[in-house]
Amino acid sequence: MRSRKRVSVSQLVLVLFLFFVTLTMLVPLLNILAKSLSTPSESVLMGGLSILPRQLDLLNYRIVFSHPILVPSLINSLIITLVGTAVNIVLTTTAAYALTRPRLALKRPIMVFLIIMMLFDPGLVPEYLVVQKLGLMGSKWSVILVTAVNVYYLIIMMRYFEKVPQSIVEAATIDGASHLQMLGHIFYPLSKAGVATITMFYAVVRWNEYFRAGIYLTRKSTDTVLQVVLRQFVVLGDTVSILGQQNVFDYNALARADYSALKGATIIVAIIPILILYPFVLRFYAKDVLSGGIKE
Amino acid sequence: MKGKKLLKEIKAQRVLYLLLLPTLLYFILFRVLPIINMRLAFFQFRARGNWPFVGLKYFEMIFSSPAFAQILANTLIISFMKYVLLFPGFVLFALMLNEVRSFRFRKYVQVVSYLPHFLSWVVIAGIWINALSLAGSVNQIVIFFGGDAVDFMTDRTKIRWILMICEAWRSLGWDSIIFYTAILSISPSLYEAAQIDGASRLQIIKSIILPALITPMITMFILNLGFFLNAGFDQVFNFSNQAVESTIDILDTYIYRIGIEGGQYSLATAVSLIKGLVGVVLVYTTHIFSKKMTGSGVW
Repeated sequence: MRSRKRVSVSQLVLVLFLFFVTLTMLVPLLNILAKSLSTPSESVLMGGLSILPRQLDLLNYRIVFSHPILVPSLINSLIITLVGTAVNIVLTTTAAYALTRPRLALKRPIMVFLIIMMLFDPGLVPEYLVVQKLGLMGSKWSVILVTAVNVYYLIIMMRYFEKVPQSIVEAATIDGASHLQMLGHIFYPLSKAGVATITMFYAVVRWNEYFRAGIYLTRKSTDTVLQVVLRQFVVLGDTVSILGQQNVFDYNALARADYSALKGATIIVAIIPILILYPFVLRFYAKDVLSGGIKE
Repeated sequence: MKGKKLLKEIKAQRVLYLLLLPTLLYFILFRVLPIINMRLAFFQFRARGNWPFVGLKYFEMIFSSPAFAQILANTLIISFMKYVLLFPGFVLFALMLNEVRSFRFRKYVQVVSYLPHFLSWVVIAGIWINALSLAGSVNQIVIFFGGDAVDFMTDRTKIRWILMICEAWRSLGWDSIIFYTAILSISPSLYEAAQIDGASRLQIIKSIILPALITPMITMFILNLGFFLNAGFDQVFNFSNQAVESTIDILDTYIYRIGIEGGQYSLATAVSLIKGLVGVVLVYTTHIFSKKMTGSGVW
């Protein structure tokens, strides 16, 4: 029996090493979580290796969820992620469907065009000027539209649609199905894993987006998204504009909070949607590698 | 005659073209228009009125600037560290994972190590800045072993290594999937044959597993070379600070700084144009190379 076999030294070293690698990923996250859940007087004393909260206290989360900038930015992030992903999926799947129809007249030139679009990056300023000219500055549509289609994901989607059996498509054509019916009743259901995969990928990118939001959504401090506020707070260390000058001046409860624990709470809030999506990513995308077998 | 026939075909397939229209419109608005805007590299920007033509003025500025030479060097060095030095790490990680006997532990390592790939660069920077701070976990360990605390994030001699290690931390799991997949698709009969011959584990790795990894290794390595001018904008943008900026400033952060922050639109566009053209040539060449050698390319 395998389990009773003596564990070899090399196997032990290997497992310990890989366990250490995973610890470098888990400990920082658990540490941030533990600090954010501890009472300020305790969290300031906690080192970077403590992973258990001391004196459970939701103060940091109460501050985050009542904050005049964080709350609207969180709502903006959710809106942009939901609407943006919907735009991504509608455009990507309809284009993938059209481009996988065997007799599409201009298929080749259109594919060449898309590949050139993928390869050549016009750069930041030329794009900025277009967004300005289209009057999208300050509007959520700037961020949503600028990344409406990703050619890589479009090609992935085409691979899935190509696998739909030709016989089913022909049968539906004979029954007089329109293209939209074909897409809705045959292609989506038969490529569920593909649609789910690109939905996850698009949604993760949308939620994590901070750069374009930081350039295009700057009219009011409440226009921006969570990642931008997080960057200002955690990366640039700007505590004053996050806590509010008046609060800092008055040195009230908010100003007395443990900043690093408050930063931690903001990070946790920014990670939660990713953790919700993560099991689906694993289920649809990494399923084969996780189960230890490749099906072809 | 041919045009007429094409028009007729398009008319017959108009629903398909209608489905394609939003996507094509997107690329025309947000990709083609910016490409047309790139002529700005040869003109002086004016918010109102015509842009006066200045010829190669901005390119001369770029190529005679010592700052640009430094930035190009930084870009190539950081790319080299990430795409070449780190490269064996991904293969090694896949090999190690495959050697783990416990299925559950293997799955645990996978689930944990794929996660950082999905975190935003802002979150990653937040975690790393926290861990590498004077009171952070890394210095706690350094002090435990009798060392002195180091302010890692502002240390010019260490910051590039930090970028590389952080890149490993983020993508070791996810980017090794391609190699792990290649190992999993090795036919079991090969292992059985080796076992009958009494081959040791190391011999199996050497004569069965590594040969199966050669093709994906060549593909990945060549493709990496195509992205050499992209040293990782998001990472540098979030890890940079005044103390280390001169050692990790790369093309993309430079374009952002002079263009968006500095308002020198023409100069930034000229840098983008150089980077874009060289980038296309690099990716396209590596794509052709990879297709020729291994049968799979970038797309």
